[in-house]
Amino acid sequence: MEDQLKMDKRITRRSFLRMMGGLGLAGITASLAGCGAVSVAGQAGGEGWLPQQYQVPGTWPAQVRGRVPIDPANPSIVRDDEKCVLCGQCLEVCKNTQTVFGHYGFPIVDETVCINCGQCALWCPTAAITERDDTQRVKQALDDPDTFVVVQTAPATRVALGEEFGLPPGTWVMGQQVAALRRLGFNAVFDTNFTADLTIMEEATELIKRVKGDIKRPLPQFTSCSPGWVKFCEYFYPDLLPHMSSCKSPQQMLGALAKTYYAKAAKIKPEKIFSVAIMPCTAKKFEITRPEMNSSGRYWKNPVLRDMDAVLTTRELARMIKQQNIDLTRLPEEKYDPLLGKSTGGATIFGATGGVMEAAVRTAYFFITEKEPPANLLQLTPVRGLTGVKEAAVDVPGVGLVKVAVCHGMSNGRQILEAVRKGESPWHFVEFMSCPGGCISGGGQPRSAVPPSDQVRVQRINSLYQADAKMEWRESHENSEVLALYRNFLKHPMSELAEELLHTKYVDRGKSYNHLAASVKAAGMV
Amino acid sequence: MSKAVLVDITRCVGCGSCVVACKLWNKLQYRQDAPATGSEAVLAAENWTAVKKVESKKGSEKVWRFVKEQCLHCDEPACASACFSKAIKKTKEGPVVYDEKLCVGCRYCMLACPFSIPKYEWDKTFPRVRKCQMCAGRVAKGEKPACVEVCPAGALTYGKHEEMIKAAKERISGGGYINHIFGEKEAGGTSWLYLSDLPFEQLGFRTNVTTKPLPQYSESILRLTPAVGLGWGAVLTGLYVYNRRRNEIAREEKEKR
Repeated sequence: MEDQLKMDKRITRRSFLRMMGGLGLAGITASLAGCGAVSVAGQAGGEGWLPQQYQVPGTWPAQVRGRVPIDPANPSIVRDDEKCVLCGQCLEVCKNTQTVFGHYGFPIVDETVCINCGQCALWCPTAAITERDDTQRVKQALDDPDTFVVVQTAPATRVALGEEFGLPPGTWVMGQQVAALRRLGFNAVFDTNFTADLTIMEEATELIKRVKGDIKRPLPQFTSCSPGWVKFCEYFYPDLLPHMSSCKSPQQMLGALAKTYYAKAAKIKPEKIFSVAIMPCTAKKFEITRPEMNSSGRYWKNPVLRDMDAVLTTRELARMIKQQNIDLTRLPEEKYDPLLGKSTGGATIFGATGGVMEAAVRTAYFFITEKEPPANLLQLTPVRGLTGVKEAAVDVPGVGLVKVAVCHGMSNGRQILEAVRKGESPWHFVEFMSCPGGCISGGGQPRSAVPPSDQVRVQRINSLYQADAKMEWRESHENSEVLALYRNFLKHPMSELAEELLHTKYVDRGKSYNHLAASVKAAGMV
Repeated sequence: MSKAVLVDITRCVGCGSCVVACKLWNKLQYRQDAPATGSEAVLAAENWTAVKKVESKKGSEKVWRFVKEQCLHCDEPACASACFSKAIKKTKEGPVVYDEKLCVGCRYCMLACPFSIPKYEWDKTFPRVRKCQMCAGRVAKGEKPACVEVCPAGALTYGKHEEMIKAAKERISGGGYINHIFGEKEAGGTSWLYLSDLPFEQLGFRTNVTTKPLPQYSESILRLTPAVGLGWGAVLTGLYVYNRRRNEIAREEKEKR
């Protein structure tokens, strides 16, 4: 007891504080001197995490490969840097499938060469690359009671939209899609398939005129429905632009008609119309910004009027539907609005590679022979399927053998284009689709965690062909609304008014980049 | 065995892969107020590298160029020379590295840098100086810096310093470039070298930088320190001895009287 008292006396308050102060000072000195915590390498940085892509063993050089350039002003696609893991999937598809990146020389001029196809967005495993979101703009238009919002749906969205709601790939949701659009508040729901039929009427007429020599344009004729392909040709093969059909894409045709033909028929002021398209495609967002796409403005002599006001991809539409708590799978099937709403089997298959060609052949056969095409033309097997370049020869009485080719994915397109450039082309008509598989696998379609697969593509394509086989009308020239349009408004295919509203011109983009040095090309260094 | 990176501005497409690689490898944050790519791109505490879009003119033609910015890793770094706590050092492979354990936060390095590269974490309680480390850890292992590794356009080349200078001269003689390797002489030479087809000042480079290594300016005076110190001491000692002796004599004379 006494000892303890002595101890207490020895530790006074002052000595305790002095001791604690001393310890603190020693601690500060030690940590300042770098004792204690282990310094990683004696320098900052390098503790970061690196992604292991797809569980492939390996380290950073094999796994982390860089990415494609995307201009922040790109109307079609945007990228969130924070999500990018530099996996290189976008490079892979841009360089090898679409042959864009690495196929231009240095230095760059004053734009980032991009065909806006959006395949990179489809491949990006982290969704760093996405479509440019236009849903807010569309919502504003829908909320404005003064605006009459018309919408059109592409052939390929009706076999893919269901995937966003848990349905298997290829599920046919055409009617549910129309119902969903009405519930979102769109005032009129039209079908791009209608103008797909119209495209066939114009394009087949143009082809026949080319073959007969009525117009001085070279053969083969190239299809012009795919805006990614059109821009690709403008960049890399501007010398072949005379081959390009002057027809606008179905989307732009409907845009021009909605603000002219429909506006007149429905007695709506064209400037009150806000025209939206639901597309499987990101390049369509670019297409509506092309300065020449204002033929309705020229028709009404109102230069600010644009043919199309907004494009939503299938994914954006799915988001809008989900935001309104609408379950697509429980909706009834509804029909498109009249005037620009009917379509044929020929238009339905536009969404698949080879579809435009098959539809065009059906109608061209009828135009030339004035007879119904034989059964083999209603199932033109050689142009169906996922082979990169497909060829067919069709015997048309009175003309002989008409040779056609179909390709999808711009690396396949280059094979045909090189042959045409060399003058070795045996074909009369060539279909080009920017995206592998055609529109059904466009850059705006529903995506999965894995890169797009042929399995999904085939399911969507089969669904289109099945629908075609069941259609009452299989050929575009049978579409009663298209015939009424000609009767009441356009007069006949390639009439003066049709030329003004449905046809367009192209620009040479060959000067917007430096060409690849011949030596680099030869060495295969691209 | 000094290493260098050759940046060929004519080959940059502005994809920003290097920026993302830097952020991943060094665990850096993305900040809205300091973009690392685009026209507004800036170096910042969390942007050790930035790719800036410059809209310029080549002759009468409007052109875009993308300029990758980061620490140039001077051969004789002014920052390291200004750092009295040895927190910044030049490694033998070339990188100029920073050790936050030694840093006292005086920011002399930021004042000393002729390119205004080092940035400070002003918003942190215990701030650090932040700048590109040229992936010193990777370089020491014989690997390329992260940014060089991922460049898909071939704009960045990594190798021995002499070889990079040689490669740059070869490219210049091949045509299409201005006859200037930025970094060959600037600030006494740097480990990052730039090639361009447009004058560097047009691209926002600081071209009025001296070609003399910056530490040499202070070194020419500071190397006299020992001589001045010892000499001054000797003079004072002499004066002291002289005064003491004089006082002694004065005292003796006073006593005699």
